[in-house]
Amino acid sequence: MMTGLATQVRRDLALGWRGRGEALVGLGFFGVIITLFPLAVGPDAARLQPIAVPVIWIAAMLASLSGFTRIFADDVRCGWVDQVALSPLPLPLYALAKAGVHWMVTAVPMLVVAPLLALMLYLDIAAVPPLLLALALGTMALTLLGVIGAALCEGARGGGGLMAVLVLPLALPVLIFGVLASTPEDGTLVTPHLMLLGAVLLVLLALAPLVAAAALAEAEAETGA
Amino acid sequence: MAGAASHRQARGGGDARRDGADGTACGLVIAGVALARGMRVIQPSLTHRMAAGEITLVTGPNGSGKSTLLRAVAGRLRPLAGTITCSAPMLYVGHADGLAPALSGRRNLADWAGLNGIAATPDRIDTALSRLAANAFSDLPVRLLSRGQRRRLALARLALSPPGALWLLDEPTAGLDAASRRAVDALITEHLAADGMVMAATHDPLASACTPRDLTLEAAS
Repeated sequence: MMTGLATQVRRDLALGWRGRGEALVGLGFFGVIITLFPLAVGPDAARLQPIAVPVIWIAAMLASLSGFTRIFADDVRCGWVDQVALSPLPLPLYALAKAGVHWMVTAVPMLVVAPLLALMLYLDIAAVPPLLLALALGTMALTLLGVIGAALCEGARGGGGLMAVLVLPLALPVLIFGVLASTPEDGTLVTPHLMLLGAVLLVLLALAPLVAAAALAEAEAETGA
Repeated sequence: MAGAASHRQARGGGDARRDGADGTACGLVIAGVALARGMRVIQPSLTHRMAAGEITLVTGPNGSGKSTLLRAVAGRLRPLAGTITCSAPMLYVGHADGLAPALSGRRNLADWAGLNGIAATPDRIDTALSRLAANAFSDLPVRLLSRGQRRRLALARLALSPPGALWLLDEPTAGLDAASRRAVDALITEHLAADGMVMAATHDPLASACTPRDLTLEAAS
């Protein structure tokens, strides 16, 4: 089972590397959304600074959302999920592996460029560490929500639009606690808001793989009818 | 009808039923299984038993539920009613080949082996590929290959199968050339000789030397 999990992770990393263009599109989307704000609001620090953190969060949510439909699509279409279902690797662990690798491939690059984009919005350097910490936890939670959405949308037509309707409302707690945790008033890194964000993440860590596995249990490639 | 649905599968050989006086283990028991595609019932009641060393050919017109039956046995589709019990590990080669288009055939096969905890040295992978004469194109990304070549890569898994497994093959020889068909026949013959089981949906004759039993599905009304 553990070799199965390791194999799945390695396979997804290899596929992520070969499909890195798609991850870059998500990253570009993230950058473009944030860049639009100085253009629209004007390059005025007094107006940009207060909205910097919320803008980065909303951009991260939208950019993450754009990649979720791909999480299981290829594996279902080519029949790999059938092979996983018959293997000793339990489907929830498979879903967890997909979530972990998807986060590494899509969210980590966003975390890397986020400080630069934050500076563009006149965010104080001192405000960057809490933002990154909260964003790291928040994008993990978002990815787990995305895994649920992706598994449920498998087989549903127009999965992309359905995904936004399904995942965004559920992501509201992540957004609210995430923004609050990114802007601590007294400068401490670990705030109650961050802990609540962590709690949301842990709940999703426990639930999302099970829900996704249930949705994938009978997922079928369209050609396999 | 749906209220009676129950689907039970045991893996790993702990639950082999004894079948009658001859004492042979009954590897697969399909009892009163009703199948539906979407909301439409296509087979009201199917019953079939298989023991080690047997091959069953699932035949019937298009749309009679051959693939659906194989998916149900593989546990990828819940029957409306009835039970399916299998005591052997299962190996499924369906219409979808289970090969990632961006990776090479060799990598796909090695990943499958790793997923199933099958110790696959490069040598064993090579041997498995050579059974279907797939070595020549096994290092190319699968997206560059023809349908028949992909099929051969998918079928190369059979050569890595644990002994005694139940092979579920959905039209295994569709799109294959004559040499590859013979290779599949040879793999099946060896597997049966080693007390394996094969259930294949097919329109072509398959492993005729092994005296397959037929499970003929009637056209859905």
